[in-house]
Amino acid sequence: MSLELRDIHKHYGPVRANDGISLTVAEGTLHGLLGENGAGKSTLMKVLSGFHSADSGEVVLDGKSIKLASPDDAIAAGIGMLHQDPLVFLPFNVIDNFVLGSPGGSRLDRKKAAQEFAELCDRYGFNIDPASPARLLTVGERQQLEIVRLLWLGARVLILDEPTTGISADQRSKLFVTLKALATEGMSVIFVSHKLEEVADLCERVTVMTRGKVVGEAEMPVPPEQLVKMMFGQAVEVKDRPAVDHGAAQLKLSDIRTASGMLSEEPVSLEVRAGEVVGLAGMEGSGQDAFLRICSGMRNPRSGSVQIAGTDLTGKNYRDFLAADVKYLPAGRLEEGLIEGLTITEHFVLAGEDRGFFVDWGKAKKRAEAQVDHFTIKGTEASTAESLSGGNQQRLLLAMLPPRLNVLLMEHPTRGLDIESADWVWEQLLARREVGTSIVFASADLDELLRYSDRILVFFSGRIIGELDAKATNVDEIGLLIGGRSVDSGAA
Amino acid sequence: MKSRNHWLSTLTLLAAFALLASACSDDGGTAVEDFQFGILLVGPEFDQGYSQAHFEGAQYAIEQLGLPEEALISLDFINPADNPGLTPEGVAADMISQGADLIVFNSDDMRDGAFAAAEQNPDVPMIWVSGDSAWEDGKDYRSDLSNLGNLWGQMTFGKMIAGCAAALETQTGQLGYLGPLTNDETRRLVNSAYLGAQYCWENFRGGNPADLTFDVTYIGFWFEIPGVTLDATQVVNDFIDGGADVVLSGIDTTQALVRSGQRADAGEQLWAIPYDFVDACQEAPDICLGVPYFNWGPAYLDIAQSVIDGDFEAEWQWIAPDWADINDLDSSVVGFIKGNGLSADAAANLDTFIAGLGDGTINLYTGPLNWQDGTPFLGAGETASEFQIWYSDQCLEGINGVCDLG
Amino acid sequence: MSARVQNLLLPIAVVVVSTVALLFLAGTNPWDPIRFIIEGSIGWPPFEAGTASKIGDTVMVWVPIALASAGLIVTFNAGMWNIGIEGQIIVGAIAASWAARTISAPRPLLVFLTIVAGAIGGMLWGLLVGVLRTVGGVNEIFGGLGLDFVAVSITTYLIIGPWSRSGVASTSGTDIFPDAALLPSFGGTRLSPLAIVITLAAIGGVWILFRGTLYGLKLKAVGANRPSAFLMGIPTNRFLLGAFMICGALAGIAGTSQATGFHFKLIPAISGNYGFLAILVVLLARFRAFWVIPISFFFAMIAVGASQLDLRLDLSSTLGGVLQGTLVLSAMLGLGWAAYRARKHADAADSAAQDAAT
Repeated sequence: MSLELRDIHKHYGPVRANDGISLTVAEGTLHGLLGENGAGKSTLMKVLSGFHSADSGEVVLDGKSIKLASPDDAIAAGIGMLHQDPLVFLPFNVIDNFVLGSPGGSRLDRKKAAQEFAELCDRYGFNIDPASPARLLTVGERQQLEIVRLLWLGARVLILDEPTTGISADQRSKLFVTLKALATEGMSVIFVSHKLEEVADLCERVTVMTRGKVVGEAEMPVPPEQLVKMMFGQAVEVKDRPAVDHGAAQLKLSDIRTASGMLSEEPVSLEVRAGEVVGLAGMEGSGQDAFLRICSGMRNPRSGSVQIAGTDLTGKNYRDFLAADVKYLPAGRLEEGLIEGLTITEHFVLAGEDRGFFVDWGKAKKRAEAQVDHFTIKGTEASTAESLSGGNQQRLLLAMLPPRLNVLLMEHPTRGLDIESADWVWEQLLARREVGTSIVFASADLDELLRYSDRILVFFSGRIIGELDAKATNVDEIGLLIGGRSVDSGAA
Repeated sequence: MKSRNHWLSTLTLLAAFALLASACSDDGGTAVEDFQFGILLVGPEFDQGYSQAHFEGAQYAIEQLGLPEEALISLDFINPADNPGLTPEGVAADMISQGADLIVFNSDDMRDGAFAAAEQNPDVPMIWVSGDSAWEDGKDYRSDLSNLGNLWGQMTFGKMIAGCAAALETQTGQLGYLGPLTNDETRRLVNSAYLGAQYCWENFRGGNPADLTFDVTYIGFWFEIPGVTLDATQVVNDFIDGGADVVLSGIDTTQALVRSGQRADAGEQLWAIPYDFVDACQEAPDICLGVPYFNWGPAYLDIAQSVIDGDFEAEWQWIAPDWADINDLDSSVVGFIKGNGLSADAAANLDTFIAGLGDGTINLYTGPLNWQDGTPFLGAGETASEFQIWYSDQCLEGINGVCDLG
Repeated sequence: MSARVQNLLLPIAVVVVSTVALLFLAGTNPWDPIRFIIEGSIGWPPFEAGTASKIGDTVMVWVPIALASAGLIVTFNAGMWNIGIEGQIIVGAIAASWAARTISAPRPLLVFLTIVAGAIGGMLWGLLVGVLRTVGGVNEIFGGLGLDFVAVSITTYLIIGPWSRSGVASTSGTDIFPDAALLPSFGGTRLSPLAIVITLAAIGGVWILFRGTLYGLKLKAVGANRPSAFLMGIPTNRFLLGAFMICGALAGIAGTSQATGFHFKLIPAISGNYGFLAILVVLLARFRAFWVIPISFFFAMIAVGASQLDLRLDLSSTLGGVLQGTLVLSAMLGLGWAAYRARKHADAADSAAQDAAT
């Protein structure tokens, strides 16, 4: 099935997310869609899968113009979308998830469906137990389930949006094998990613997008430098970070247990020294979140003790931790960090040290302007938090950090950021090591974990199953641990 | 009545200036064709109850005077819950500026507003319905308000008749009285119903006075307020479950009749007597023994006529029924309409009783009578004065129930 | 025209258009009722001599609505729907009545004490809503409604019970307070310059609170995003309680004005439902303190002047209620539309931001 997009426009207010995109995907090809964050890839794919309707433009399938008003239309036309977080209903078992969304309404032949499921799994070498509850599947297995389901529904065009986030290296190679096999059978695959190597590994042809426009197309293989040039206009070079001597223990956990759910199985003990960076790896919700909350005083452990810079803060609350120079920056920047509706100046006033009754707005504005300048935030002192892009929100959050910190706790410090912003963020963070700040961060990006951590803790279903020296490990090892080792069936 | 003379006196001063400026009308009355009747109603004009009775009374007066309906200036919902921004005196001032020659405040609740209005407009005849401010012998006489009269009907008789009807029908000898809040007026009515019941129980049923049980339960307000007052329906249930088979209502709403009607439909033999409005039996006609009601038309006509004739005087009027025919809408201020539930025998006895009340052969407020706490109220052969009946500060001995919640 | 002004004018336009349409339906030309409402509240031509008493009434209706609205701006900014404002007005009135009935002092002192008592009463009642919310986890809407109900019950209990008037207990309320407890008023009318000054000061204070103080900014932060505010180190619960206390105090003064400046006694419906009305005022004012002044005056004019529709035009008295209902509905409609437009903008920005984040 060949797919053609003609002059797609999609604007959100003044933002031109797709500004006249034309793209052709030939039948049976693996087509890469490459671009940095915010380039408009996701918007384009949402248009193609019927989640958003385009303002103007045409989608042509096998020479016929089709209308996509809803995801149903897309599936009926043979376009299947595999989301970044696979749309799996966790409480259901595998087979129920499989038949969910099948056309035909109430009449459901489960036996026949199970049979077809088994055949499809067999054909692509997937090994999923149809009776297993979906919540026990790894992300990779959830993807497999979703792919099988889309095939069963008759998808002839398969869109994968950043499918390698959060899966192990093994699962990734398995996925790539499957996609290549599907392409041979005539499936058109659109592979959306911002990772050069993956596109280079997999795709036969690649389209590069920047700021809502197509800026380049190439038949693979091409040298990665050329793709980077297309994306960023210049090649990014990876800097080695300077080493920092680690000081005394800033954060010390002893025999921590929590009352419910996360971190419940084994007591956790850990010391993080001044200037040390500890990365937390693991699937989302594997316990990193609870761990960070305990370290920040947002949550009290059931037993065990927490010490900050030598002071026992067990049982104290978040504000006591804050007073002990512990700061926590959760993943949701607009949800748990910044305040919608308030300006940058107001944020700085709130975060500032001034405790007078009246606010000197003149002074506050000047200070905010200086900070906006210093942290190169794209916006003015009067910009509201929500009007900033993700990268600039993160810059604002970092700019709001107090100058002195013992422990900085972060979730996904660079999620959603373009490479330039991400590099900038880490420059700032690493600079804090010099003044003795300990950094603990959770990330789904294995490269980021490996590049910036001194040590990596790997979480799996509520416990720490590995503590690795970042210099002595690699993506594969971490990926394996994240998948829970024994549970990971993708290693077959 | 505590004074608040500071602001009232300034108000009076201002009113006096206003009057000077507007070159007040002469004291010699008003030409009939120019007469305007102003009335402030506490509730809705068509409430099937208290305010509607007053509104229709005023309409009656206008019609009898041969005036067009424009001669009636009325405003309803004059209460702070429905119209928080309105004050009775403010509305009265508006009506007067529109030409009203007589202002009627139809509720006890408008007391302070009626006083203020009377002070501000000393030359405009006004009536505060149910009050006692114009009664020279009364406890709250306001000699300074020479333009504010009072009007009330002798519902004591209506309640005696109601009590009698209940005693004539009861099979169990147990009556329940659903009281509103406790005050002199409501106790006066409870006492009257009790006396009527006692009389008819002994004289028509030949019963032993000790065998008639008369219970009163005050819910705490004129109507049920969830969480504040008792649940009126529950009180009715308690009466019936306790053996009562006739429930008399003293409250503004119809739970007594409605609940009794429902239980009668379910097979129990029950009756009820509602209150206030001439058509009140409609909710459950077959178990209704009758309803004591007010009919304000004749009284309003008299007052309007006196204003037209220029001889209005601020009197305290507590008007008795027209005994020639208590249900004559052209003459009787208080009446009693018999209901379908009343048997023919009982109806005949009731007529005898009414006739006795009318010709004075029956005076139920005759001693010996004791108050509920055992202190003597009337000695043997002694009859009560209007003052004694009006200010009933206790229930009578023989009535079961607490009559002083305050 | 800026979007801000548009968002404010739009609901008002909807209100006016729907009201005029309703009056046409009721069979009258729309000008007469408007003129009569103006005449019945501030005189025609406005502020004509001889209408001092009416103007006094209207201003003294404006006082509690405006005070309650000023308070609600605080709680709304803190992200709370303080439906309990009615109860706070009522308890303020009860506390002021208690002071007026029991304390004997020279007038200036006693008036001051009634106001302080009213403010404290309202504040504590507001605090209770806040405590239920922060400690008990009871949504402030339900907690507030419950406490409104309790406050009404207490009033009724006092009026027909311990504070019933001498002689005949009745719904008309308690005995009139002694003169020394009444808000000093102007020339025989209800108009109290003191009440006006307090109200304007309250509105100005709320304006300054959110304009120039760190406390106000923190309240706003708590209201806009509690988790973020908490992470910034703002003790969110304490600020929520603070907002309820400020609002409760202002509502309590509104109740005081009702008791000692309008009715001169405690009556069952002492709040006049002005708390609920104030919610509408604040929504219409888009939470801007300054706009509370004219909008609440507009509602006060209707409250006092609408009786003229019945008296002068013989329109059914229920029309007043219908009018009020139409006002509320159409205001909501107008606001809803403004909000919809705002959301469309926000959605666009959101989607764009989302796009940037994926």
